[in-house]
Amino acid sequence: MRRLVFALPLALAACEAPPQPLTPEQSAALKPADAKLAALYDSSCKACHVVADSGAPLTGDRTQWDARWAKGEAVLLQHALVGFGAMPAGGQCFTCTPADTAALIRFMAGREQ
Amino acid sequence: MTTRRKVLLGGVGVLALGAGGLAGRRIWLDREPAALPATDAQGRVVWQNWAGMEHSYPAQRAAPASEAELAQVLRSAPVPIRPVGAGHSFTALVPTDGTLLSLDRMTGLVSHDAAAMTATVRAGTRLSALGPALAAIGQEMPNLPDINKQTLGGAMATGTHGTGKGITALHGQVTALMIVTPAGEVVECSRDVRPELFHSARVSQGAFGVLSEVTLANQPLSRVRKEVRLVDTEALLKDWPALAARHRNAEFLVLPFTGKSALITHDVTDEPVRPRGPDQDADTLMSLKTLRDVFEFTPGLRKQLASAALADIPPEIAIDEGWKLLSNERPVRFKEMEYHLPIAEQVGALREIIARIEREATDVFFPIEARIIALDDAWLSPFYSQESGSIAVHAYYKEPHDWMARLAEPVLREAGGRPHWGKLHSLGAAELAALYPQFAEANAVRRSLDPQGRMMNPFLQKIFG
Repeated sequence: MRRLVFALPLALAACEAPPQPLTPEQSAALKPADAKLAALYDSSCKACHVVADSGAPLTGDRTQWDARWAKGEAVLLQHALVGFGAMPAGGQCFTCTPADTAALIRFMAGREQ
Repeated sequence: MTTRRKVLLGGVGVLALGAGGLAGRRIWLDREPAALPATDAQGRVVWQNWAGMEHSYPAQRAAPASEAELAQVLRSAPVPIRPVGAGHSFTALVPTDGTLLSLDRMTGLVSHDAAAMTATVRAGTRLSALGPALAAIGQEMPNLPDINKQTLGGAMATGTHGTGKGITALHGQVTALMIVTPAGEVVECSRDVRPELFHSARVSQGAFGVLSEVTLANQPLSRVRKEVRLVDTEALLKDWPALAARHRNAEFLVLPFTGKSALITHDVTDEPVRPRGPDQDADTLMSLKTLRDVFEFTPGLRKQLASAALADIPPEIAIDEGWKLLSNERPVRFKEMEYHLPIAEQVGALREIIARIEREATDVFFPIEARIIALDDAWLSPFYSQESGSIAVHAYYKEPHDWMARLAEPVLREAGGRPHWGKLHSLGAAELAALYPQFAEANAVRRSLDPQGRMMNPFLQKIFG
């Protein structure tokens, strides 16, 4: 029984469909469930993260986000706050708190739930 | 399919194999700039501009949702109060230890007049959102800048412009403003009502108060044909005045050390839509960087190889509504200096700058951009009473840009250029007063609105004296 309890999550994970790429239109249709975050997202992150040519990983597209997510949330938050590569500091959201930024990263990386 | 990137990289690749040592040097030089602390000792979160050159730790961040809230912020928030749009300015217009003020909650279309072809828009609206919003009511702005991430208010404050013979910068198409003054007064102005404020605040550097609404004189939504073609720089320079007159919008990017330029034109068409393809500019740019990395110290070979590799690239063509084509994604961050010259001086100054860069700054790989802008009557507009040809030089965000002040700015100044307010320049009040006939009048309006200097940071104190 104990072995079954441990094995079940692994089995379920194995059954989970691999992430599929999103089109920019599919990405643009997504928005955070929280109204405040949705407003912040609309006025900042969305300007780049639903545009393929921007070079930014598309919102909700885990084929683009999973490798980044593997670096750890703290690293992604640090890059978002102080800038890294093509990502400008603050992610163009000048009224986001660090907690807002962390929540927006989770949303865009497909980990909001 | 042959692309600019494939051809260029193919040519470079052969000789790149023998240049591993240089590439190793470049790996070191290519490191990410040192990151600032995300928060200071008081727990204040860092603000940086898009390029990463300017920063501050504001004590307060304000995002009013109405003119009343905006007025309250301006009356009582910690000073200096500095409005920020998208942070795309390269100069220190925004840094503040006081209040960083965003209009991200004051966005969208307020109203429009279909017959007059005007639209009133909240000033925090990003240009990227404004295009589709205007298209939905059958309108478009007559022109757009190269990048469309800016807010309308921020773009106007810095005199942001596109290109085109007879086409003004963004603020040239504005018929009325609603501005909240540093004292918290909400004032409407136009050519007929408070004209001194209208003429001062259209291009304001965020020093006269904060725009809340802008009424734009637009034009019917149209379809344009965009062409990007690689041409010989020398032939282009000879033909530039005629080219600029022949196309609705024309600009070019000189690719230094190649003998080539990218000529970009837009013209109204009724041809069927041909959506723009995936962006090639960023890949091309990084290929130019690779070329620089390997051949920095052999500029003759660099030019010979690039010129041959770029000889037969087919033009890129897209046909769509203008707001989808005029602006571009720019995923590679950079630093920029731009001046606006009397139009007759543009080509001569550009020739001199190309020569200086190719002689003395072999590490430069970013293109040099040339555009054309019609005159207008905003007192602090770089295009005040003067049709202008602009010249912009760029540097990769990781690399030094001191060569701009040393090699380009003296030429731009000698040619009578006025600096872009959002881009690098070294000028202060005395020099600016000599370049702007209405500078003193505009400054007097500013002092009357903000006698205590609540919106002045050190950079603006240098500008306004």
